Amino acid sequence: MPEVVSRSFRLHCPPDTVDTLQDLLATIWAQTPHLDPADRMAAELSIVELAANVMEHSNNGAPVSFTISIVVYDDRIEATATDEGAVDHVDLRDRAMPDQYAERGRGLPIMQALSDSVEHRRIEGFNHWTVVRGRRHGGAPPRKAMPSISIAGVIDEMARQRALDDMGILDTPPEERFDRVTRLARQFFGVETAAVNLIDGDRQWAKAVSGIGPVEMPRDESMCTVTIQGDGPLVVPELTADPAHAHKMVPGLINFYAGFPLYAPGGERIGAFCVYDSQPRHFSARETEMLRDLAGWVQQELTVSQELSRASEVQQGLLPQQLLSLPGWKTAGVCIPARAVGGDFYDWYPVGEGAALTLADAMGKGIAAAIIAATVRAVLRSAARFGDVAGAVDAASAALTVDLDNAGVFVTAFHSRLDMDSGVLSYVDAGHGLSIVARADGSSQRLRSTAPPLGVDPETEWQVQTVQLDPGDTLIVVSDGVLDLYDGTLHSLDNLVTLALLAQDPWEIIEAIRARARGASSDDVTVLIVRRDDAD
Amino acid sequence: MDITVVHHPFGVAEVTVGGRLNMVTAARMREAIEQAVDANHPNVAVDLSQVVFLDSSGLGALVAGLKAVRASGGDLRLVRPAEQAQLVLELTNMGSVLQSFDSVGAAFPHA
Repeated sequence: MPEVVSRSFRLHCPPDTVDTLQDLLATIWAQTPHLDPADRMAAELSIVELAANVMEHSNNGAPVSFTISIVVYDDRIEATATDEGAVDHVDLRDRAMPDQYAERGRGLPIMQALSDSVEHRRIEGFNHWTVVRGRRHGGAPPRKAMPSISIAGVIDEMARQRALDDMGILDTPPEERFDRVTRLARQFFGVETAAVNLIDGDRQWAKAVSGIGPVEMPRDESMCTVTIQGDGPLVVPELTADPAHAHKMVPGLINFYAGFPLYAPGGERIGAFCVYDSQPRHFSARETEMLRDLAGWVQQELTVSQELSRASEVQQGLLPQQLLSLPGWKTAGVCIPARAVGGDFYDWYPVGEGAALTLADAMGKGIAAAIIAATVRAVLRSAARFGDVAGAVDAASAALTVDLDNAGVFVTAFHSRLDMDSGVLSYVDAGHGLSIVARADGSSQRLRSTAPPLGVDPETEWQVQTVQLDPGDTLIVVSDGVLDLYDGTLHSLDNLVTLALLAQDPWEIIEAIRARARGASSDDVTVLIVRRDDAD
Repeated sequence: MDITVVHHPFGVAEVTVGGRLNMVTAARMREAIEQAVDANHPNVAVDLSQVVFLDSSGLGALVAGLKAVRASGGDLRLVRPAEQAQLVLELTNMGSVLQSFDSVGAAFPHA
């Protein structure tokens, strides 16, 4: 195996200086005894000039932090520097040595004279520099054209990694929709392992694996990292018969490999769908086509994940982003969908000398419920500006009945308005019935529902009820998913009353419920809490 | 970086630099040269035999020193630049302006 030594350093200047960098470089040279002194000297000078240039100019002389990575390959030495400096333009063309009596301006020409490639690119607020020097003495002959190889690779890899991160799929639990494809592939091809592998930084991670393959392994031992270098299939009937891949053979695990790249929505190659076996194997053109089709299936599932993840962001964005400014009161809320999106929501916003507070639960889960929930939220919000509590619910009901009827669903809702001075809460409970007031003295009072859910009966007369919240009292409204976190019955509300008595702050109650919901909830979990401060 | 200055007769100062002559240390060498000029030693021989690393900042300080000594009627000459420093001087075409000699005596024979 050729020697490859790779190191990355983060420098903060000041206090770091080029001396810091040169001390670090010395540790690299110590690990590369076969590097010719002339190459080492040229590389060190180029790297120091690069770093000095970043320190002096990249941020107009102000303090600057940057990362510098140095890789010594058998045929070349590469250095990449990334800084967040404000200076975004560098002219690298025609940099001749300045006049002999000039005191400045020799750094870039020196770098260019000693290197095969010096490149700079500005990407999203970062300066990326790459300097490559082919080894002249005693190194391997260059394998590919020297200029541009490096920076293009670095930037592709950054875009690839970002696209993968944005998909939000890394380290998520196994999902049946991927597992069934790997299962099918394994059976169909009669191989020991089929996997959906994603290439993440320096590791390979499997979203799905059927058979004996590992979930995680170092990237440099992976075959899929080779597959993602191209757009077509990679089929290697026998790894040990192919010098390029022989070192990746693992006895009892892999000596045959076939894979297809998988893409992020933007087209970046993020991983591969692959099958492999410990025994060499012929893989026909027809089988390759079949593998392509299965990879296409996985691709579709990945795209769905991405869209759901977007939908989830949109829905979380519909929850109140700001705390209510309500002197003498504290509010807190949380909405944890069982899937990427859900049918629950809570909402609050100032109205008059107080606030409107809502929690609703659209029947069902997933996207269909989420669409209905978003509609209910919008209608209640706009109606609340104009009418009283009953008027708002009435307007919402009228606007929604046709839609809800067509969709064949209904929505339970608790919609209320709090007068912050008197502590009177006026509310309409449309079939929800999961609200309770924890009193300062330890007693509690359930707020019962007296009306059907929205979407059941358009003729409903909405009755407004009131409850008085005194200092130290806490109103808790939850969705039925919260009951499932306890014993599944209404007695669960008593647990919440106990929580409320123990908690100093409504967010402590939220955190306790959130902790309970972690990994355990099969239904959407939503909580809305409003607490009146203790009397002084 | 280590820096020592020895004053010789006839306005010759021998400035010996050791270690790295880079962005961190260039200013100190430049000050040493300017102090020699102020002490009426405008003929400065900079011994670079102990310099393990010279970069464009170090080179810039040598050029600044050269201009300072010439303004006082002297000159700046190099003594035995080490291998890496020699490479940098050649690469930047500075050999004709910053001339190198084998000793201080060879650098300023008539002083």
